[in-house]
Order: sequence, then C-alpha cells, then structure tokens
Amino acid sequence: MVGKNCFAIASDRRLGVQLQTIATDFQRISKIHDRLFIGLSGLATDSQTLYQRLVFRHKLYQLREERDMKPETFASLVSALLYEKRFGPYFCQPVIAGLSDEDKPFICTMDSIGAKELAKDFVVAGTAGESLYGACEAMFKPDMEPDELFETVSQALLSSVDRDCLSGWGGHVYIV
Amino acid sequence: MTKQHPAWSPYDNNGGTCVAIAGADYCVTAADTRMSTGYSILSRDYSKIIKLADKCVMASSGFQADVKALQKLLAARHLIYQHQHNKQMSCPAMGQLLSNTLYYKRFFPYYSFNVLGGLDNEGKGCVYTYDAVGSYERVGYSSQGSGSTLIMPFLDNQLKSPSPLLLPAQDAVTPLSEAEAVDLVKTCFASATERDIYTGDKLEIVVLNKDGIHREYMELRKD
Amino acid sequence: MPILLLPSTNFKFFPPKLKCVDMKLDTSGLESTSPFFGSGDELCPELSAAPSFSLPLSTDFDEFQKDTKATLKHAKGTTTLAFIFKEGVMVAADSRASMGGYISSQSVKKIIEINPYMLGTMAGGAADCQFWHRNLGIKCRLHELANKRRISVTGASKLLANILYSYRGMGLSVGTMIAGWDETGPGLYYVDSEGGRLKGTRFSVGSGSPYAYGVLDSGYKFDMSVEEAAELARRAIYHATFRDAASGGVASVYYVGPNGWKKLSGDDVGELHYHYYPVTPSTVEQEMAEVAGA
Repeated sequence: MVGKNCFAIASDRRLGVQLQTIATDFQRISKIHDRLFIGLSGLATDSQTLYQRLVFRHKLYQLREERDMKPETFASLVSALLYEKRFGPYFCQPVIAGLSDEDKPFICTMDSIGAKELAKDFVVAGTAGESLYGACEAMFKPDMEPDELFETVSQALLSSVDRDCLSGWGGHVYIV
Repeated sequence: MTKQHPAWSPYDNNGGTCVAIAGADYCVTAADTRMSTGYSILSRDYSKIIKLADKCVMASSGFQADVKALQKLLAARHLIYQHQHNKQMSCPAMGQLLSNTLYYKRFFPYYSFNVLGGLDNEGKGCVYTYDAVGSYERVGYSSQGSGSTLIMPFLDNQLKSPSPLLLPAQDAVTPLSEAEAVDLVKTCFASATERDIYTGDKLEIVVLNKDGIHREYMELRKD
Repeated sequence: MPILLLPSTNFKFFPPKLKCVDMKLDTSGLESTSPFFGSGDELCPELSAAPSFSLPLSTDFDEFQKDTKATLKHAKGTTTLAFIFKEGVMVAADSRASMGGYISSQSVKKIIEINPYMLGTMAGGAADCQFWHRNLGIKCRLHELANKRRISVTGASKLLANILYSYRGMGLSVGTMIAGWDETGPGLYYVDSEGGRLKGTRFSVGSGSPYAYGVLDSGYKFDMSVEEAAELARRAIYHATFRDAASGGVASVYYVGPNGWKKLSGDDVGELHYHYYPVTPSTVEQEMAEVAGA
C-alpha cells in the first residue's frame, strides 16, 4: 500500500499444505535491497526458487551497473522470469514494492506468468486476496504518513486473514 | 454414458450483495439493486429486500427465480400464520421458518443467500444469516451474496464484538447509533462496488426501529 | 435434462438409479407439530399439509446432487470431541464454519443442546446437522411425554441413526456425537450420515480430529476430575485449531453429569495460544533478507 513518500508491505505468517498448518512464523516478504521488497505468496518451493533467482540476477546487475535496481526495472525482471515459464509456471503471485530515488513509491503485483498490474493505491495477492480488496478499498486514504499507513495496513491485513482459513498466525509489516 | 445436455443447469446466478446490521433498538438491512447474469446487467432497479412481517425484512441474493419463489412461499406461510394466530410473526419465528423452508429443499436447493433483519420480542435488533440449505445463526451483523467476501472483513474490523460462545459471557452490542450504522453500510457498499462487478447501480437501505420502517436510497457506480 | 418440482407432498419418486423400492423414508419428523385450524387445506394443500422434501425430477439424481453440491458449497471443516470419564461425559468443539477457504462464521454453535441431559455435536454440513438435531430434540421430547421418562442416549442415537440411514446415498453430510446422561449413567455414541452408529468412550470428529486425537489419546485416563477432563478437552481442541486451518474461533467445553449438562468454558483460541505459549520478550526479529534465501 502506498503512502506519502513511503510504502508498506505486509503478509501473514502461516505456511500450510492445504488445511494443515506446517509453520506459523513463515517469512513471505524478502528484501532485495534497502528500498525494494518482494512478497511471494503461493507454493513455498517456487517462491524460494524464484526469490533465489531474483537475488542472483539482482547481484549481477549490481556488479555490472554498480547501483541498485529501480523498482520498475525489477518488476520487469520478475515479469520476464515468470514468463519464461509460461507453460509450466511458478505457482506464486508476487507483490513488489519499492521506493525510487526520488522517494516515489512504486507497487505492483502480477499473476503467476508475469502479467504486471500496476496500481497507484494498493495491490493484494494470495488466498485472502478478495477479502483484502474489500478491506483495503474501504480503509485506504491517499497520502498517508508512515504511522497512519502502518495502522491501516495492519488493520486491513488482520481483518482479512481472520476471514481466510488458509492465512493467519499474525503478520509481518514493513514500512519503508 | 454421455450426457445429453452437458451445459444445462437449472440455476443461474443473478449476483447482488446484502448487508444487515443489528443495533440496540434498530436494524439496518441493505442491498444493491443490480440484477445481472454473466457479464450483462438485466436490471438496474430490482429490489432485493422484501418486508415479510411488521418487524422483519429479508434481503436475498443469488438466483432471482428461486428468491421470488421463496418470497412468495414465505408470504403465503405468513398469511396463514396471521389467520391462525391473529398476529404478526415475530422475527425469531420467521427465522426458524425460513430455515425450515430452505431445508425442505435440501435435495434441490433454493439458490438464494439470505439475511433476515428485524426486531425481536424485546425490541432489540436481530440479524439471521443463512446458507442456501437452511443452516442459520443469529448474529450482530452479516453480509451475503457476491460482494460478501469484500464486505465481511471490513464489518469485522469496525463492529467485531466478543463471540457469544465465550464464557464468562461478554457484552456484545453493536456500539453504533442508527445514523452511524447507515453511514457504515453506505461506506462498505461504495467500496464493494469498486471491486465486485455484480454489485452496483443503487443501494436500498431499510431501517427498522420502534417507530416503524423506512427506506432510503443511495446511488452507486453504474459501470 | 428437465428438472421439475414434484407437486406431490409425499416421497413417491425415486430416481431410477437408486434401486430401493422397499425403502421407506422416514418423514415423520417433518410433519408440522402444531395443529392446523381453518379451511386452508382446500385452498392451498401444499402449504398447510406437512411439507416434505421436494426432489428434482431428474434422470440422474446422483449427478444432480454432485452439481448442486459444487454450486452451493456447504459449511464444513470442524473439530469436535467427546469422551466418557469417571464423572460423566466431556464434550468440546471449535466454532468455525468455512466455505472453501473463506470463513463464513467464527461463532457457530457446534454443540447442540438437545435437552437438559443430552448434547449433540455437529460436523459436516451445517444445515444437515442443525436440522436433524432440532428434529431429534422434538422426537426426544415426544418420547418423554409419551413414556413419562427421558429417552436413553442409546435410544436417541438410534433414532437419529435410523433417519440418517434412510437418507443414505442422497448426499447428506453429518458426523455427530450424541452424549448424555440417562438411567444407565453416561452415554456416548457416534452417528454418521453413512448410517454408522458406534458406542464408545472416546471420539473425535471433523477435519481437525487427527490432531485432537493425538492430544486426547496421550492425555486420557478414566480417573480424572472434572477440571482435569475439561482442561484436556480444551487443550485438544486448541491444538487441533492450531494445525487445522478449517477449525478455529472459540473452543467451547461442556460437561454432562448426573444433573444434566453445563457449559464449563468458552475461550477464543487466539487467546488460548498466548495462554499455552506465553510470549517470551527475548525473541529477536529474524533478519528478513536471510530467511528466504537461506
């Protein structure tokens, strides 16, 4: 979710196979660099593989260009990697959030084969997606300050996962 | 054996969203007025809320033909009840009747998702929420229909009250005033309309309180 | 595939696939219990006569049930348990109802109070359980009025099992335990929609039952006080809600003794989590970049 010169990215902590809960402290959101985060919901093995490939590509980029990737560039990279597997996709839905050099927030989600969906306000992904849309749609205000943004994101996340069997056990929220 | 009519089904989904909120001495029931099938809109002004008794209204979404049949059946049952007992049916009684009526079609269900709003015998607001085959529960607020998954988390967030199953029991009254509840309903429909294609056009709100019943309308997005 | 309503109010129609000509369905529970006055009968026979289940006039009933089941997802996903111990019967359940991944309610009353001495639990289709337990309650009360004494748990569970057996193969989904106290002491039966009926001392039903059994079996002994038994039941439900995504909400615990049932506790499992596993403040937040990459 986007705020004023900041963004928040949040996820729940449950890892499960169908109805069975495996772990309750799972990390779904990972850092690419200080101003860029990616959240990967879906099949855990695919998320981890994809994440490792992304980190690898990002490191190569850093070595060649001697700078961090811009969020827009990174989104295109994710999209390209996903589309490579068009006919045997990674079962995961990424959410990308980053801050550009001018502190302009950027958020984006895509489907499992890399169709980007950019938004100015908020993006959601995962099993509680529909609930999250409802909660965010009702709670979002433009240009929130970090504290307010944190409160809004947390409330939206908590109330949505409470309506979804397959999510839960608390959440991680990052404000950048 | 090959099926002869593989695609035919007795059911259609006409969409629509209903919400009901019970308060200390009022009950707000609301639904949008769009009726659609697939991607096309059949009507922009079709009321989903009917008055079953003086202190009881029902909002239904799902398949309108089934809903219509259900409404007519309940109206007839209520008429008989009035002739027999010379009084209006109470909302809890209507709640049980609706549950049984739905369950009698257990093997060929009414494709309708209902919420019943009204005032109980003590004048308190009550809301009953149903599934298609008649399992029901008395709750403080509820949402049914195509937009319910968008609205429910928001209502949880705003109105969450301690579960009635808790022991020692905790007080579970919706803390809102009537005007606030109406505003809340408007907010959640405005946001559901943004993301649900089956919800929109116009919002019909029915407020029941000790003074009686009144309706109000609000325009929603028409796209 | 023309599908019509049967105008008849009796079960006379059977789909050709089900070869059960002699099977008589028990619809006695559906009869209106209040006497009907007036001359409404001639005007609207369908409304005043005892209503019964209308069936689709379909050539393939099973297929139709499968289709409707897919379109109308019923509430499912549960953990319930009951066991007999020294002092009586302990019954416990969670309170979540889900449709697919979506939680349709967190406050379902899964322990149904049939009469002051008997409880039923519900797992499976919410409507099926609610309706037939209510129906059983009526029958038990009628038995009581006719025979001037309370029905035994054995008798009550048999009534329910017989009804469910008569609907076997028609798609009902019920997994229930009937627990109570009668002249012979505590009684516990498991009854399901396949027609099964088992007497026993320890049962758990629902999607969370494997987890509940784990706790229950390891902690169970016959010689327990009411407090110990209640704690065991609550703990078993809590652990099931922890692992099973389709169970959750409030863990309710009921006790049935010689003087009838009593609700002992109802706790939000979210709060129970912190009760059983208090948060230790020393936990350091994990380094976020490393975890997924490790």
